[in-house]
Amino acid sequence: MPASTARGLVCAVVSAALEHGVPEAGWTGDPGAGSAERARAVEAALASAQPSLYVHVPFCVTKCHYCDFYSLPAQGEPISATVDALLVEAEQRATPRPPTVFLGGGTPSLLSVTELARLLDRLDDLTGFRASAVEVTVECNPESLDEEKAACLLEHGATRVSIGFQSLHERTLELFGRAHTVDDSFRAYAAARAAGARNVNVDFIYAHPELTSEQWTRDLARIATLEPEHVSAYNLTFEEDTPFRRWLEQGRLQRSSEDVELEQFWTTRARLAASGLHAYEISNFARSGRECVHNERYWRNADYVGIGPSAVSHVAGLRRGNARSRAKWSADVEQRGCAAEWEERLAPRARLGETWWLGLRTRRGVEPARARALAGFDSGEDPCERAALDLARDGFLEAREGRYALSARGLPLADALARRFLA
Amino acid sequence: MDRTLIRNFSIIAHIDHGKSTLADRILEVTGAVDKRQMRAQLLDSMDLERERGITIKASAVTVWHTYQGRKYQLNLIDTPGHVDFNYEVQKSLQACEGALLLVDCSQGVEAQTVANAYLAIECNLEILPVLNKIDLPHARPDEIVEEIENAVGVDATDALKVSGKTGAGVAELLDRIVERIPAPKGSPDAPLRALIFDAVYDEFRGIIVYLRVFEGSISERQVAHMLGTDRVYEAIELGCFTPTMKRTGGLTAGEVGYFISNIKTLGDVRIGDTITLHKGPKVEMLPGYRPPVHMVYADFYPTNNGDFEHLREGLETLSLSDSSFSYEPVTSEALGFGFRCGFLGLLHMEIVQERLEREHDLDMVQTAPTVTYRVKMAAGEEKEIHSPGQLPQPDKYEEVLEPYARITVMVPSEYIGPMMQICADHRAQFVRQDHLSATRVQLVYDIPLAEIIYDFYDKLKSSTRGYGTLNYEITGYKQGELVKLRILVNGAEVDALTTIVHKDQAEYRGRQIIKKLRKEIPRHLFEIALQAAIDSRVIARETISALRKDVLAKCYGGDVSRKRKLLEKQKEGKRRMRQVGNVDIPQKAFLSVLGGGEEDG
Repeated sequence: MPASTARGLVCAVVSAALEHGVPEAGWTGDPGAGSAERARAVEAALASAQPSLYVHVPFCVTKCHYCDFYSLPAQGEPISATVDALLVEAEQRATPRPPTVFLGGGTPSLLSVTELARLLDRLDDLTGFRASAVEVTVECNPESLDEEKAACLLEHGATRVSIGFQSLHERTLELFGRAHTVDDSFRAYAAARAAGARNVNVDFIYAHPELTSEQWTRDLARIATLEPEHVSAYNLTFEEDTPFRRWLEQGRLQRSSEDVELEQFWTTRARLAASGLHAYEISNFARSGRECVHNERYWRNADYVGIGPSAVSHVAGLRRGNARSRAKWSADVEQRGCAAEWEERLAPRARLGETWWLGLRTRRGVEPARARALAGFDSGEDPCERAALDLARDGFLEAREGRYALSARGLPLADALARRFLA
Repeated sequence: MDRTLIRNFSIIAHIDHGKSTLADRILEVTGAVDKRQMRAQLLDSMDLERERGITIKASAVTVWHTYQGRKYQLNLIDTPGHVDFNYEVQKSLQACEGALLLVDCSQGVEAQTVANAYLAIECNLEILPVLNKIDLPHARPDEIVEEIENAVGVDATDALKVSGKTGAGVAELLDRIVERIPAPKGSPDAPLRALIFDAVYDEFRGIIVYLRVFEGSISERQVAHMLGTDRVYEAIELGCFTPTMKRTGGLTAGEVGYFISNIKTLGDVRIGDTITLHKGPKVEMLPGYRPPVHMVYADFYPTNNGDFEHLREGLETLSLSDSSFSYEPVTSEALGFGFRCGFLGLLHMEIVQERLEREHDLDMVQTAPTVTYRVKMAAGEEKEIHSPGQLPQPDKYEEVLEPYARITVMVPSEYIGPMMQICADHRAQFVRQDHLSATRVQLVYDIPLAEIIYDFYDKLKSSTRGYGTLNYEITGYKQGELVKLRILVNGAEVDALTTIVHKDQAEYRGRQIIKKLRKEIPRHLFEIALQAAIDSRVIARETISALRKDVLAKCYGGDVSRKRKLLEKQKEGKRRMRQVGNVDIPQKAFLSVLGGGEEDG
């Protein structure tokens, strides 16, 4: 597509979003663009039967008030011993040649350069990821990312850095319970670039009680000036067992109205698209070819091995989860040789439904035959394809080249639609 | 038993005017029950009665009182205290020669007391006015005497003053009963005529029939013939109540007692029926016999469709101890399988519903109660309908007749204004107004029964701060401008919410119903139109806008299982809703509409 046409389309989307709230098209951009070589590698990684690798580093400087991931305040914790235990578990369970790797948390950047180097080197010894992975992401927080650490990460195999900005307002960072300032975020970003990071993601949260839509629109313009390859922008969720949820219930915090949430949802998509960052999932935006392959594999219901407390694995239809306690998890790893605390194996029909509603979160959408094959569903008429046809008829889905994806109308209703695909 | 030594009497009183407490004192004073055994309100045996302070089933007790050296048998026949059981009251009164008109000395005469006093006068009973709760500081006996005289028209100047609580005046009352209430008249040598004034189901003994023998006598082993039902039963056991059942082997003219045979269900016995001896001389039936008439109908649906059989069992068991309601299976598109039940009145309906829920642990949805309408079809025949759905298309019938009642409302005079307004709002026609005393007024109106069962009674109570009392009797059927009000969601009729209403009220009622539905039906993926319609004409409309946002921001590898479970839970919640057309309606929405009453919103 010629650049001028693309720009015209983007402008149309932006103006529609601003005038009517809902644009005509749900998705913009072109999946799989970028260099031909990169595109082939990404497709191979997405289709790979080898599980990806996820490593959960369960420490943070402080726990953010909205966050329900498993993490502990780092102060006084046996960090080195935890890295040891992660590596023991990796020895037990990590599979060779992962197509993607993701170090998440928690805050992996909290580890010292020594520990990070040790962790990445040993993981490579065990799996050979440096040769196999098309993408290796490390999650970082601004207070613990400087140029030295960024360089260390890149040197030891990381190819992608994700930085948790969350907000461009000091007051909001305080409300969130973050351990850094806005300046710290920009400094960390610059440090990553200076160290040579070519693929950087920045994380933001919108539709929180202190953010007006005008502010968010200005913030989006500022985010665009950073020229990141990738942006994750999440509508604030009041997760259970978090201070935010408690404050909501106590009336100390208000939920944004549906109108405000929708306005910011569409503005995010329109503004970022105008800067070349196209939504390829509900909350994820990337330049063409820079979509996060690791996460795309989650949404394709592909296989992955999760290492660390609370980490979940999904291999050959079996999903297992580790204990949400560092102590219990490390004891399990060391004494039982297995940290899985729960597991589930879904029947083909349930797996089929899951494959559908996961896939429908993305621009790629779902290819019915692939979903059936993945789920092992071969008993008669495909109820999910049936549901998709009905929803497409009602305008909630769009069918393109044998794939179904959410329409602009269906996008903000993804969960309501997801229920139609359950057994 | 020498019948000149027998006195049969009832106590007529309003709820809470102290009838049961007085009965307890009488048992105590006559030594029928000693203080140690005394259980407060002995005569009310059902839990529910005790809790509500209402006597549901009549009961009887024999006590002995010595007066001027002679020992008298006093039979106290308890009467149910509510208008729904009017017929049972009448039958209890018919079994007596006298009645105590018991009035709370601070509350004064209530509508129901007056109605029952008139019933007693119709039965030619001697009325003894008795002022109760004389121990209360705000008792106003003189005014109450005036009210009794004005409302009932009996001389109350020498009314006895008693306190059921302290026992003051109870001994004098017993003397007065012997002096003033006539002895039974019927001859013990005449052919047997006995009145069935009550019957109860006992788990161990089967059906126990309560009898008043008017003429002749009956002994065990004789065969009884119930004339109304034309059934024949051998008298296996006969006796009286002391208050526990005491076998006597026989009953003679003037006496009150029980009759046990192998009668299986209450449905085999009719209150008001006459018993005579099988193959004995032909006798006339005692007056006033009729089968129970169901004035109010409602559908019961189990909250969980799977509980249908459980509901059926509950109704079957309940009908053993209450034969005066009917039930038949019905199907509703909105609510599934249930039963249409007929009741003597509103309170009777509530009692049955509560007993089902309490004794059988059932959760139910109940449709709005409806009266029995008569429809004159175009072809000429007339038919009765018990549910709005049965009303034919307008071109198929000539007119609809609805039952009317004459109501008597007694209110403190400051509430006359609001009361008249309520009557006007409910299509009531003024009949007359009587001043009972300086502070109390009796209003008489004719009103469609449907208005009473809708919300008239609640309004009466709330606008008179609970002081107003109501009594009604069915007077007949009148033609009414009635229409079928249907409720549609996205064009599909919700059959459980269809009602028959007067055409002038249709719009208002329709608007109310859809407003309530609007609050309770969750948003869907599409807009939902709620409409109230008369036939095909829409008279009110509300819209539930489409759901606009329902999406979780985050879903990565670690979130998938948790999120799937959340989605499944939400889907399960939807599954429990009732589907009408393409709309899922939660149970709560039905309850909020069917719960009746008015709210703004």
